[in-house]
Formats: sequence, C-alpha cells, structure tokens
Amino acid sequence: MHTEATPAQADVSELDLVKQCQAGDSEAFDQLVGRYRTRVFGMIYNMVHNEQDAWDLAQDSFLKAWKSIGRFRGQSSFYTWIYRIVTNVTIDWLRKKHVKGSGAEFDDAIQLKDIDPASRTVPKAEALPHQRMERREIRARIDDAIAQLSPEHRAVILMKETEDMQYHEIAEALDCSIGTVMSRLFYARKKLQNLLRDLYENV
Amino acid sequence: MKTFEEKWTAWLDGELTGDELAEFEASLPDKPAAEAEKRDAHKLGAFLKEQLQDRAMGNEEFFHHQLRERMAADACATNAPEQTTRPALWPIGRLVWAGAVSLAIFCVCTFFVIREKSPSDQSEYLTQVLNARVDPALGPNATISMFESKEEKVTVLWTEGLQSLPSEYATK
Repeated sequence: MHTEATPAQADVSELDLVKQCQAGDSEAFDQLVGRYRTRVFGMIYNMVHNEQDAWDLAQDSFLKAWKSIGRFRGQSSFYTWIYRIVTNVTIDWLRKKHVKGSGAEFDDAIQLKDIDPASRTVPKAEALPHQRMERREIRARIDDAIAQLSPEHRAVILMKETEDMQYHEIAEALDCSIGTVMSRLFYARKKLQNLLRDLYENV
Repeated sequence: MKTFEEKWTAWLDGELTGDELAEFEASLPDKPAAEAEKRDAHKLGAFLKEQLQDRAMGNEEFFHHQLRERMAADACATNAPEQTTRPALWPIGRLVWAGAVSLAIFCVCTFFVIREKSPSDQSEYLTQVLNARVDPALGPNATISMFESKEEKVTVLWTEGLQSLPSEYATK
C-alpha cells in the first residue's frame, strides 16, 4: 500500500479529515477524494476496462462514501472502508451489466488520450509507435483475461497484486472471510497463469 | 482447518511459517514443480503490477467539480422530501375541514328540507305574523291576526271583537 504522506502523518490527518467530514465539511471530503481518487479510479478501471464507466463508478463510490461517512467508526482504515464501497459498487455494476469483457472495451477515447497534442510528429524514444501498439496489445490481453474472472475474483487479484493489500484488508473490503480471499486468490492466479503465461514469460 | 487452496496461497505469498510451513512442504509430492509454479505466480504478480498500476485519471479538477455538484444536488434532494411532505399534509387537513363543513351544510340543508316536506306539521297558512290584542280603547276583547296563504299568495288580516276597523288600519 502506498500513500502520499508518511504513514503517521497520513493516519492522523486522515482521521481528522474523516471527523471533519462527519461534521459536514465537504472541503475535508474533497481532500480525501484527492488522496484516493487515482487509486480508486485505477482499481475500478482494471475491473471494468472502460474509462467512462470507471469515472462514473468512481463518482458513485465517492458519493456513496460521503452519504455514509457518518457511519464510519474508524474500526478499519478509511482506505479499507472506501475500498469496500468501491468494490460493492463495481461488483454490483458488473453483475447488472453482465460485462464479460473483451478487447473491444478498450475504446478509442483512451488511445487518443495517450497522445500528447503538443508532441512532435516523431514521439520520444520511450514511446515509439510500435512500442505503444505493443503496450496496448498487452493491455488488451490482460483486460481480456481479467474479464474472464468473476467480479469477486477480479477484485481479489487486483487488490492483492496491484494494491498490495493484506488478506485481512481484502477480506474486510469484500466482507468475506480470509479463507475465502485465499481460495479466490488461488483460482484467480491459476486462471491468469493459464491465460497470460506466454506474455509474462516473454515480455 | 485450512484447505489445500488456502495453504497453497499462503505458501506462495510467504505467509506460512514454522511447523505449518514444514508440514506443507513435506506434503508436496513434487517440490521442484511446486517451486517452479511459485516462481511463475510471482512473475504473474510482478507482471500485473507493472502493467496495471496507476491508471491515470484525466480531468481531475472536473472530477472534483462534478462530485461536488452531485453532493450538493444530493443534499437538495435530501432536504426536498421534508419540504414536499408539508404540502402533502396540508391538503389532508384541508380535506378534513372541507369534509366537516360539507357535512354541516348537508345537515342544515337536510334539516330544512325535511321540515319543509312534513305537511302534517304545517298549517294551511305559512306564518301567523300577529296574534295580539289591539288598543283596549277600541275594544277590550279585540284581537288581530295576520296570515299568509301559500296557495293563493295573499296576506289575510283577521280581526275579532271590533265594531269597525280603526282609521289608522286602513290601507293607504
């Protein structure tokens, strides 16, 4: 887990911010949003593979958090608490939409966004066109593989591998037992190993 | 009691220690293959972390702006039911009052209609306007009464005990 401030500073200020939010201070909530916005968005994006949907779901998640922040008792970290909301909102959405996922979800808007309008016709060395294309292909393969997992398995593998969350934090966020987390992790890894082995062995 | 899947995951993530670790590793039928799979899983983890981390969000300021607007709209929507509750309650009160007033009017009207429709209680004459003695100087036992006939629509002045009608009673 990575934070912008040191853990102690982050904990203290985060708790203060939460208390201010509970007193109705929307500015304090704005600061909390600023702190977790990128990670929340990234997590949702990795689950739904569409930037606009990820944006909307991030909005819904933060709005839900604002509405229910009065019920936050500080028994877990705010981070775990917000992740619980995020995963609930996203998993509900995935179930409703029955998104099976495919490379087609990786829409043009995202690709255009990657291009700097001020860049020269020949981009810098680290972003040559064929490299970009290769990255996009890899990304599409990963998205496709993740889309074949159930929403719960997606959430578990992403929290563990990209967010470095502990078993108990994942269990709290998903409101399930640690055993269930470990079991889901086992199957999610097996599936992704089968689907992506050629990629991570060669890249 | 942990299942094999749970133990395997814990072993991959380095969460097994002491006796539990030794016991699990001893139970593996092919330890080199298990170690290879462990390395493979670690590669997958590193690969996912590298490829998926920190998906940048565009228009961060607009994200905040939109969220603040939605929070404000939600606050208005939360207050709105309280405001709409009152108007919703007023018509009920008004309905009660209107009902009560209507009932009272109905009762009064019914009372008069029923009274009008009971012919036995009514005389041939609608109203006896006057039934009193006249000036004792004119006649000590004289009385005068006035009736109205409904059918003929005439008013009758009935006098008794008078020799003649006093001049001031004459029609002008």
